[in-house]
Amino acid sequence: MSAVADNLNAPHEVAAEELVASFAEADHHEVDLGGYSVEDWICFGFFWLMSGLVFLQFFSRYVLNSSYAWTEELAVYCLIPVVFIGSAMCVRRSRHIQVNILYRYLPAAAARICSTLVDVARTAFFAYVAWLVARYALAVDNEPMTTIEWNKSHVYWLAFAGFALMLVRSVQVSWVNFAQGYSILERPEAYDGADE
Amino acid sequence: MAILIFGFLALMLFGLPVAVAMAGASLIYILTSGSVPDIVVAQRMIAGIESFPLLAVPFFILAGNLMNVAGITGRIYNFAVALVGWMKGGLGQVNIIGSVIFSGMSGTAIADAAGLGAIEIKAMKDHGYSTEFSVGVTAASATLGPIIPPSLPFVIYGMMANVSIGALFVAGILPGLFMTLLMMFTVAYFARKNGWGADTPFVWSRLGEATLEIVIVLAFPMAIWLMTTYAGVSVNLAAGGAFAVLLALDWYFNFSAVMALMAPVILIGGMTMGWFTPTEAAMAAVIWALFLGLVRYRSMTFKTLAKATFDTIETTASVLFIVTAASIFAWLLTTTQAAQLLADWILSVTQNKWVFLLLANVLILFVGCFIDTIAAITILVPILLPIVLKLHIDPIHFGLIMTLNLMVGLLHPPLGMVLFVLARISKMSVERTTMAIVPWLIPLLLALVAITYIPQITLWLPQYMGMLK
Repeated sequence: MSAVADNLNAPHEVAAEELVASFAEADHHEVDLGGYSVEDWICFGFFWLMSGLVFLQFFSRYVLNSSYAWTEELAVYCLIPVVFIGSAMCVRRSRHIQVNILYRYLPAAAARICSTLVDVARTAFFAYVAWLVARYALAVDNEPMTTIEWNKSHVYWLAFAGFALMLVRSVQVSWVNFAQGYSILERPEAYDGADE
Repeated sequence: MAILIFGFLALMLFGLPVAVAMAGASLIYILTSGSVPDIVVAQRMIAGIESFPLLAVPFFILAGNLMNVAGITGRIYNFAVALVGWMKGGLGQVNIIGSVIFSGMSGTAIADAAGLGAIEIKAMKDHGYSTEFSVGVTAASATLGPIIPPSLPFVIYGMMANVSIGALFVAGILPGLFMTLLMMFTVAYFARKNGWGADTPFVWSRLGEATLEIVIVLAFPMAIWLMTTYAGVSVNLAAGGAFAVLLALDWYFNFSAVMALMAPVILIGGMTMGWFTPTEAAMAAVIWALFLGLVRYRSMTFKTLAKATFDTIETTASVLFIVTAASIFAWLLTTTQAAQLLADWILSVTQNKWVFLLLANVLILFVGCFIDTIAAITILVPILLPIVLKLHIDPIHFGLIMTLNLMVGLLHPPLGMVLFVLARISKMSVERTTMAIVPWLIPLLLALVAITYIPQITLWLPQYMGMLK
């Protein structure tokens, strides 16, 4: 970008190549995978397993002209760990969709108390639901899947694993928030660069 | 019932994740009323995502994320500059065209605003546009994302309202183009008012090349259609042949954006012709993106691929976790008769379909200013859909209205997500960002009125394609 120097304060004509050049960095990606933990890679495995199954369904339907029914069911069962274990990733990275409007108006001390209460409530919720999912998995024990002879409760135990991880990560995040004295609700800008 | 609704709103405003607020309020309601055993929460939450159509969600997100790292973004802007860069206020138009093309590949507005928005705003500022104008165009064009297929809100709406997701996608095409034109007029108006010239000289050959690329892209589905209908060739053979020709042409001429533009054609064309279900269309787009990134342009590495996967998992989990929570919340809304009471109350106010649509617009717009899009759809559909059906409003038309309202809500204070994302990217205060976006609400509200009161804009194309009953 040579013409940055001619600091005109209004749009002005330049060569098309120069306009295009301003968008060039869009294809430049710096990636650091260091921030991902073991459960993220497990989730990664389930995700590509699910993709493989859907691809197989696609392939069998269009190329072999007879689709495998079991691919559909198994792909849906892969979605469950992807969502619940992926949710644990969102808890750890504070990426769940939430609303922080209140914290723009609260004085700092009140905000600290509220956001601590939020940490406690979130942790309590995950603990309670993890316990519910475990009870549910025990209750449906031995129910087979529709298209193949596998035990369906395995899938529910994966959901339980997701909630248990959410609980653990929630405790961790709460502790970090307590130690550093603020959470994402109070200072969203402190979490901005977390992606890069 | 009050516990359910006000509990949810209170927990959400307190700052709990939206999904936790929904499921939490449901849990509190169940524990205090004792109407059903609490284990139902676990059962409904899991059942909420045990659905094959929902698999479209992760793959649409993945397709969009893969496209971002497939090395085609620069090519798409190259194409957009050739097509509209010579107009007055050229980069504003480029911004809109870029968003239109990307919304044909990805399904979310916020991701569009956050990822491309940063690049678009920077490019516009570098070339002399004010931050306000740049932010305004970017915000307005981000709302196109979920209107032009594919679209996550449509998948969720289709599932909740039990209507064809494919028909919803097709219904979004004309409103999307209509909104694109309105926005381009708005840019032209600003350019005229401020006396802006072109950003780049007009050259016939550049415009000609860009037009030729569009023609080639459109010729692709046309050729397949002609071969299958008139020459009696099987679909597999016709598609295979057309791809072979296209790849040979691209290899020989090295087009700038033909391969990238093919993504929306495969997606939308495949669904309109009834070849693909939405999930399969999403899979086809993923395969196309992988082909472009790994074989054609070779810009994908294991690292970028892994990062795109993790981003996809994160977005999928945060969206579908809301769907799991909504599944128990919406179920309680229906079984406790809360939805019925609200519906009766609205029907007692008006029985006229046009008045109802006006009220519904105001309500959804209001809700959209406070609640996240996916959560809003899952709450509003069980309440409003019975009335919609009773008043003989097409649920597909209503889906468009709802989604557009919620998109406008994303730009609105106090809780517009796009507003906050852009405020952070552009380093402006929320107040200044709001003022920058306000003029853009005019074309958006115009579009909303037109789409609400002229159902044909939405319904003509799916009717023509024979996708409506």
